[in-house]
Parts: sequence; C-alpha cells; structure tokens
Amino acid sequence: MKIYLQLGLILLAFCVAATALLAYVNSLTKPQIDSIQQKEAEETRRKLIPDSEFEEIKGDFTYYIAKDNKTKEVKGYVFTAKKNGYNGPVKTMAAIDKDFNIIAIKVIQQTETPGLGTNSTQPKFTDQFKGKSVEQLIVDKDGGVPPNCIKAITGATITTRAVTNSLKESITLLKKLVLEKSASTIETQVREEVHK
Amino acid sequence: MSFMKELTKGIIKENPTFVIVLGMCPTLATSTSVNNAIGMGLAATFVLICSNIFISLIKNITPDKIRIPVYVIVIAAFVSIVDMCMAAYLPALHKSLGLFIPLIVVNCIILGRAEAYANKNNVINSIADGIGMGLGFTLALSVVATIREILGNGTWLNMRVMPKTYDPMLITLLAPGAFITLGLLMALMNMLKEKK
Repeated sequence: MKIYLQLGLILLAFCVAATALLAYVNSLTKPQIDSIQQKEAEETRRKLIPDSEFEEIKGDFTYYIAKDNKTKEVKGYVFTAKKNGYNGPVKTMAAIDKDFNIIAIKVIQQTETPGLGTNSTQPKFTDQFKGKSVEQLIVDKDGGVPPNCIKAITGATITTRAVTNSLKESITLLKKLVLEKSASTIETQVREEVHK
Repeated sequence: MSFMKELTKGIIKENPTFVIVLGMCPTLATSTSVNNAIGMGLAATFVLICSNIFISLIKNITPDKIRIPVYVIVIAAFVSIVDMCMAAYLPALHKSLGLFIPLIVVNCIILGRAEAYANKNNVINSIADGIGMGLGFTLALSVVATIREILGNGTWLNMRVMPKTYDPMLITLLAPGAFITLGLLMALMNMLKEKK
C-alpha cells in the first residue's frame, strides 16, 4: 500500500512541476503572442479591404466598419467567423461590401488534417468566395448548384462546411445588426430634427 | 557504442517509419506534400532531441513503475513550451511549423525512443539517437511525400514536374494512398535487405 502512495506522490510532484513550468512560460509568452495576433489581424484587415480605416464595433459579435481613407465613405465590413471543423475551431476572417457580398476571405486559424483540410487556407479554395452572396454560400455536396455554390475541398468536406456555414451565419447576423444600427441612427437623426 | 554509430542507425538500419513502423499517424497526415513532410520531420526532430535529453537526465529519479506516465507528462509539457515560445518569439517559423506541433504530441516515435533508448543511455548517446531517428523520420516522410505529391498533384515541392495533361491520381493524397505507398516502400526495403 505504502509503495502505491509513494508512486502517486512522485507522479503528483511531476505533474505539479510540469504545470507550474507551463503556467510560468504561458505568463511570459501570452502578452507577446496576443500582440502578434492583434498585429496580424490588423494586417489581414488591411489586405482584405485596402486603403481603409477600421472602426471597431464591440458587442456579442464584434465587427469592423471599413471606411475609405479619403472620402470616409463606408466601403464594407470585416468580421471573424468561427465554427468547429474536423479537428477543432476554424476561424475565417471575411470582408464584405455594403451589399453584404463577399469581397475576400482568409482562413486565419485552423487545426485541420494536414494535406486535406489545411488546403482551406490556399487561394485556390478561398478565391471562390469572392463576390458570393449569402444565398450562394452552400457547399456543392449539400445540394448547391455550380456556379452558385462553394466547391468542397477533396477529402475535406467537413472543413469546407465549417468555413461556408460559419460565413453564412455570421453574414446573416451582421446584416441584422447593421440594419438595426442604421435604423436606430435614422431614428436619432429624426428625433434631433424634430428637436430643432 | 560510438556517437556516429548511434547517429546513423536511425537513418536506414533502424528507420523509425520503415523498420520500426512508429509514428504512422503523422506519417499519413503530413506526407501529402514534400513541404509538409520536411516541416513535420524537422519539428519532430527538434522535440525528439530535447525530450531524449530530458528523459535521459531524469532516468535515475523516475521509479520504473510509473515511467510511462512521467514520460507522457514530460513530452506533453515540453511540446507545449516549444509551441508557446515559438509562437511568441519566432512567429514566422511558428506559422510554417506550428501546424505540426499538436501532431508531435501523439507521435509515438518520441515516446518510443524515450522508452527504448533514452532511459537506458547517457545524455550524449541520447542526443545522437534523437538526431539520427529524427533525420530518418524526415527522410522517410520525404520519400513517401515525393511519391504521393508527384502522383497525386503532379508537383514536387510545389514545382510542376508532370506535364499539364497529367490527370492526378487523387487517391494517393488520401489515407488509403498513403498506406499503399508505405506498404510498397516497405516491401522494397525488405527486398533489398534480403538480397544482401
């Protein structure tokens, strides 16, 4: 009996040491990793909609309004869509124009099968999203009719679905939020007018 | 045993993939392109060397009965630390290799070498073993990947080698193709060995 207690305690000691070490390394690297990720997100936004400045709208669903550098006109919106793929969450950053059609997308985080699901980061896959509307966001295997659908990656239908459906859900949600917001701004404007 | 002998045995005579047949999961997953194969091979080599050093150092204080759980803790902690440090300080490298890090945790070559070699030998020889096995793994992956990438995609290291009219054999990129390629290569290795 005593020997098992001893073994258990030794194992516990190893676990505690490993956890402590991991916690320490995490506390050292976390801020650095966060700042790198933030910078990357910023760069990706710039690449998706060039020559714009971004205004962050925080909430349950955070998104960015892209405004032209010079004219300050609203060019579109940028947001991150997320859904579980084959191995874990797949995060896609997408830029859409004023009419909620996709300008460009970029898969920014995924842990899918190397060689199959990881092909979702390739331009060959992401380019087909350009110009698609919400209605066209359907995977061909789910009954989509080319060219009004997304062609699944060979051997990675689940990953394709994760990207496509997460975009579809997020755009639908964004549409609602933007319409609500513009409705409320019009309301305040009207109220101000009345006040005058 | 000399350092050189330990170093070279992993490359052909005790090749981890073709002879010991360890680490099949990452082999199947990452041998779809030569790029991935080299990335996975090098990342695994790095972790293998480090974990061999660690295990060899603590071999005298780990009770025999719980050595496997201890190795698992050491390897898992180690891989996480490598992952965090790489993400924080070498973001470019992390971008290309980061994908393979979760796969290294489940790579049995590392646990296999810890159990079969590092816990019986001194640090210097364990380093040699780690380098040799790592290189052997990288080489084996590259060979499998070369065949799969050329037949399945018509390219090698992303350069087109097959004529444009070549219709790629998609099956070689999927899991069954990996098994077939691996089986044929093992048969070839055995045939050559018997001839000697």
